[in-house]
Amino acid sequence: MSPAAALSAVAKQAELLRQDGNNCFKKSRFGAAIDAYTEAIALCPNIPIYWTNRALCHMKKDNWERVEEDCRKAILLANGSVKAHYMLGLALLQRTEYKEGVKELEKALDLGRGANPKGYMVEEIWQELAKARYLLWEQESSHRSWELQTLKEACDEALKEQHIMDSSKLEGFINEADVGLMNQLKALEGVFRKAAEQDIPSEVPDYLCCRITLDIFRDPVITPSGVTYERGVLLDHLEKVGKFDPITREPLDESQLIPNFAIKEAVQAYLDDHGWAYRTD
Amino acid sequence: MTSSSTQSRKVLSKIAQNRLQKELAEWQLNPPPGLKHKITDNLQRWVIDVSGAPGTLYANETYQLQVDFPEHYPMEAPQVIFVPPAPLHPHIYSNGHICLDILYDSWSPAMTVNSICISILSMLSSSTSKQRPPDNDRYVKNCRNGRSPKETRWWFHDDKA
Repeated sequence: MSPAAALSAVAKQAELLRQDGNNCFKKSRFGAAIDAYTEAIALCPNIPIYWTNRALCHMKKDNWERVEEDCRKAILLANGSVKAHYMLGLALLQRTEYKEGVKELEKALDLGRGANPKGYMVEEIWQELAKARYLLWEQESSHRSWELQTLKEACDEALKEQHIMDSSKLEGFINEADVGLMNQLKALEGVFRKAAEQDIPSEVPDYLCCRITLDIFRDPVITPSGVTYERGVLLDHLEKVGKFDPITREPLDESQLIPNFAIKEAVQAYLDDHGWAYRTD
Repeated sequence: MTSSSTQSRKVLSKIAQNRLQKELAEWQLNPPPGLKHKITDNLQRWVIDVSGAPGTLYANETYQLQVDFPEHYPMEAPQVIFVPPAPLHPHIYSNGHICLDILYDSWSPAMTVNSICISILSMLSSSTSKQRPPDNDRYVKNCRNGRSPKETRWWFHDDKA
């Protein structure tokens, strides 16, 4: 047998093992599937899908360390693997590496949108990403609010102490000094309330929301009429309702849609400052 | 004969649920004038009290609109009917069906319950005579068995009334 033929025989054998693995996976026999993929990897260690398939089985078995290992290997082989970045993100979140986890999910989301903007993977990744971002915000905002509270108490105390010192010097002007202190405390209260504002959940501004979903944009596209919509639902509309702009009713074809990067950046800036807006339910 | 109102209704899709929750929150925050929606657990059917605008033929009269949302709302229009007794109007049949293009062929997912109700209210307000459509009896007879107005082939030959 020539070296090339031997190589292709090995590749064929590995492919058969992958199919075995897939069949086991479908029957929820994850241990057996892992064995099959492991054999496939031993034959052809450079095929990323063998690693991501095995990672998925480890995920089903809640074995997150192995998920992480396999995904990292798959990413080394193919940096554009949506599934590898997605599962790596989930694994990092599992061990509460929120920042790194979020970064991986974002990478997966970008890659996934490039491949198929309406695919189920994109929705699933978004859900996980939003959940993680919300959690991160909860942690950070409670820390921020604790910091502010401590600082405010210290400032209140300092003002009051100074007031006591001042009033011992300024006999006869006690009333005026009291009013002064009250005003200062009130102003301080206002400053701290303002500082905490971003962390208080309220309404997302209309200009960052799609007129169909009524929700904050994720993947905004602009039509020739100048109206911006969420890509997924607009494609749905063009397919099921009709080929027109939902608001202006001008004729509209999928090929005319352009990503609205400005809005996308505005949304990201808003979400960075108002993490509560990641809430998905 | 098929009938959408007697078929078991499908549950709302995730997109529909999200969207209706947002519409409901907005409605509660900024209730539209002349319209009252009693909030219930049922997100899929809204019953809205419509009060005729002052200075119009329907002043001091109140009617009930029933809005039923399909699984794939807002990619599909909701079914909107008046609960009989329906207002006397050249585009409203005695069984409550409403001849209004946006509810059928001219639906767009950018419309909301709020904007539908406002269209219906303005349709009432601009009416100059209180009467049934000329084909009322024939139409209502054809609709027995609870047929949905969304199955009607409407022709909107007179949009001005």
